[in-house]
Amino acid sequence: MPANWWTRNRRYFLYTVREFTALPMALWLLWLLYDIKSAGSGAANFQPPRSAAFVAFSAVCFLFATYHSYTFLKLAGVIMHVKVLDKTVPPRAIVLTMFGLWAVASIVIGAVLIGFAR
Amino acid sequence: MAEKTITIKATRFDPDKDSAPRLQSYDIPFADDAMVVLDALNYIKAHVDGSLSYRWSCRMGICGSCGMMVNGTPKLSCSAFLRDYWPRPVTVQPLNNFPIIRDLVIDMEDFMHKLKTIQPWIIRKQEVPLGAGEHRQTNAQIDEFKQFSQCINCMLCYSACPVYGLNNEFLGPAAIALARRYNLDSRDEGLTKRLPVIAGDEGIWECSFVGECSVVCPKGVDPAKAIQQTKLDTTLRFTLPFGNRD
Amino acid sequence: MSSRGPRRGGQFSAPDSIDGQVESYDVLVVGGGLAGIRAAIAAVEANPRITVGMISKVYPMRSHTVSAEGGAAAALRPEDSYENHAFDTIKGSDYLADQDVVEAFVREAPIELIQMEHWGCPWSRDPDGKISARPFGGMTTWRTCFAADKTGFHMLHTVFQTSLKYEQIHRHDEAFVTKLLVEDSRCVGVIALDQRSGRFDAITAKAVILATGGLGRVYAFTTNGNICTGDGMALGYRAGVGLKDMEMVQFHPTGLPFTGILITEAVRGEGGYLTNKNGDRFLKDYVPNKMELGPRDIISRAMVTEFEAGRGFEGPHGKYMNLDVRHLGEEVIDRKLPFMRELGREFVGIDIVHEPIPVRPVQHYMMGGVDADISGATTLLGLYAAGECANVGLNGGNRLGSNSLSECLVFGAASGRAAAEYASTAKAVTSNPVDAMLWDEARRVEAAYLEKTGGDEKIGTIREEMQRDMDAGAGVFRTKEGLEKLTDQLGGLRDRFERIKIEDSSRTFNTELTAALELDFMLEVSQTIVASALAREESRGAHARRDFPDRNDEKYLKHTVAFSRGPEDPRPRLEYRDVRITNFKPQARVY
Repeated sequence: MPANWWTRNRRYFLYTVREFTALPMALWLLWLLYDIKSAGSGAANFQPPRSAAFVAFSAVCFLFATYHSYTFLKLAGVIMHVKVLDKTVPPRAIVLTMFGLWAVASIVIGAVLIGFAR
Repeated sequence: MAEKTITIKATRFDPDKDSAPRLQSYDIPFADDAMVVLDALNYIKAHVDGSLSYRWSCRMGICGSCGMMVNGTPKLSCSAFLRDYWPRPVTVQPLNNFPIIRDLVIDMEDFMHKLKTIQPWIIRKQEVPLGAGEHRQTNAQIDEFKQFSQCINCMLCYSACPVYGLNNEFLGPAAIALARRYNLDSRDEGLTKRLPVIAGDEGIWECSFVGECSVVCPKGVDPAKAIQQTKLDTTLRFTLPFGNRD
Repeated sequence: MSSRGPRRGGQFSAPDSIDGQVESYDVLVVGGGLAGIRAAIAAVEANPRITVGMISKVYPMRSHTVSAEGGAAAALRPEDSYENHAFDTIKGSDYLADQDVVEAFVREAPIELIQMEHWGCPWSRDPDGKISARPFGGMTTWRTCFAADKTGFHMLHTVFQTSLKYEQIHRHDEAFVTKLLVEDSRCVGVIALDQRSGRFDAITAKAVILATGGLGRVYAFTTNGNICTGDGMALGYRAGVGLKDMEMVQFHPTGLPFTGILITEAVRGEGGYLTNKNGDRFLKDYVPNKMELGPRDIISRAMVTEFEAGRGFEGPHGKYMNLDVRHLGEEVIDRKLPFMRELGREFVGIDIVHEPIPVRPVQHYMMGGVDADISGATTLLGLYAAGECANVGLNGGNRLGSNSLSECLVFGAASGRAAAEYASTAKAVTSNPVDAMLWDEARRVEAAYLEKTGGDEKIGTIREEMQRDMDAGAGVFRTKEGLEKLTDQLGGLRDRFERIKIEDSSRTFNTELTAALELDFMLEVSQTIVASALAREESRGAHARRDFPDRNDEKYLKHTVAFSRGPEDPRPRLEYRDVRITNFKPQARVY
């Protein structure tokens, strides 16, 4: 297999992007761990980053994270074979449910985080 | 009016003479709109170059013989219409990820071996005697596994799978889909016997859900779905209490 | 034993040493389709201690069984009876069937279908979970069991996958049998060309079962795949066995124009209508009681008659009729005929839910074949035959649809068991004469095809001419003049065949060589079709003579058996054998 196999068609490329999202997410989480460690040495020394570079970095990671979640949830309809009362639940219903749950979870977690920040 | 022609570029490779495969170009009449790539190859062999070697039989997409790369995509040559490519040339090459025997003929012994390892037959603890008649089964029960029973063993999925391309030991889409076909058949009781191979080293967990296998499958088997569903099923068996039933 | 040795200029080598490894089996099955695989399984189940070889020129999943669509018939349901199935089959055969064979067949068929079910065949079901059945041509009750409209595909994959669990079955895939080994008036094995290496092998066996399928590719317009070239029939013929009823060639009424792809009879079984240019269901003038479910020979003749009267549609690929299923509705079509909808979309660009299907009669099946008895035994000791390549006397002059898949199972199993029993007590095969025969055959093929210089004929050209000539002269309707002309044409083609030029000198996967070997077989069996057709001066079943339009039981209630006169004379010697009648006296065949 040639090293550029993943450039051969659109689906191979998007798959590789999907898998690649693990890298920016891991990097951002490493920063978060470092930030938590810093916060552990006292509120006085703790300086949350405000630089434009950091915002840009976070935005990029956020896009990758969203893409990761989107692709994963979209495929839930394929992965899950659910039967209710002997009838197979249509894949679309599973996918919509998953996206619904994602939205709810996002709102709840967001509300909690913002509440603590206040 | 000039006769319409089309250019076919086909891989030629004779292991006795050639050190590497090469493409040979043929210009042939594109006489009928219903012509497929296979018709072009047959024309070349009958009228232009008798030494071109390729497999084919049914010409109706059910025997699985004629899988080839057509302009870089795995296809059945009997179902690839020239009109979809004309006037551009059509490049026909042997299926990716398989060793070439000759020209467009690949070695599929690996699959034949893997097919046997998943035990693709009905396994029962206790055989029902013939005199008792058929197992009762409903059309709904057949629908559970029907899709996965449509595989014609054409190998397009193995050709599309980058995991198989990088690791020839991978069990592969068709074999796993067929295993699922039997595991889901209400008459079969052989799931635990197949698990060591399916969930083993080179089984389902090698798959990273690229999904190209299902895209190229000419019979709508959706082997990617079979593999992911198998992953979920085996995980639940492993994690849930009393999941490891026989 | 295999031929190996120094290569000369990339061509096949003359063997100068025999490899010590002997490939030898108790039973060797030639052909990996439904009948062949069923025979192999039956042999090991009859005697688990024997070894069974299975040799096929293609991987077994490619065998043409895979394209069968409609179903397999058996008297499974309580409202059916063996007598009913037997009578339908015998009447369908135009009384040329051997009735004792039919009566045994109808009793075995139900057991075989249940066996298939136990092996995992996904038969479509009735609401109570039992195996369903659909109406079919010439059957007076619903007895055609089916797996959607891909019955052959599911049956082949079921038996093939099941065969993998028997360690005693050894397969030789992509090996092309060129000759039967006969020693002391006994069949002792085969010579086969291993396509991948180009090596000739002798594979010996105490019993050999021919299960190589049909010969549709002698015709230009056929449902058959590329591999259906009458190999087993030619092999048996050249070994001295007779070919029975070769004039009986089945033309299926509904093939797609241009490709010849089969549109299953099940379309008519589910209620489809055949209409001509005027929109009439014209079969009311030919088979008023059965209409679209009449037997195939009568419907094919009806369609050709309508074409000749100018009532057919004219298309870019010839005349056709409409096969209409629009009135069945999408739900029924998707449940019962999904593959037909797929084929319509792919190959004709139509959606059969909304448009009629263009169809015309197409060569489909061969009732004729290697003369074999009820257990598959031929007149050559140690040689058996089953499936489409054999003629055990079941189908006579015309086969009813859905009897063939059942036939492959019943007679595949019967010949497997018979061969196993015979092999258990037969003498071992001695190697000395076999070595010499291997050498002779390897040299014959090398000299005739690979080493020959100065040839000027192309295989493809001769083959295409043969196919066109056969379509014209030995089609649905035949005449004396047409058949005599065809005899001369085939003779001329045979002469030209002696001068073919093979461009492919490779040892590896030389498909030009196998095409030449197949053409050799096809020219041989074509001669038997034409000679038998010329000699039968009546119309019976699928054999319709314009000059002899009536059936003549006094003279022709007999099987035609064609024997080879040897390589010098292409025309066969014909013998006649009485049809065996038990319970059903021949009557006028009216539907």
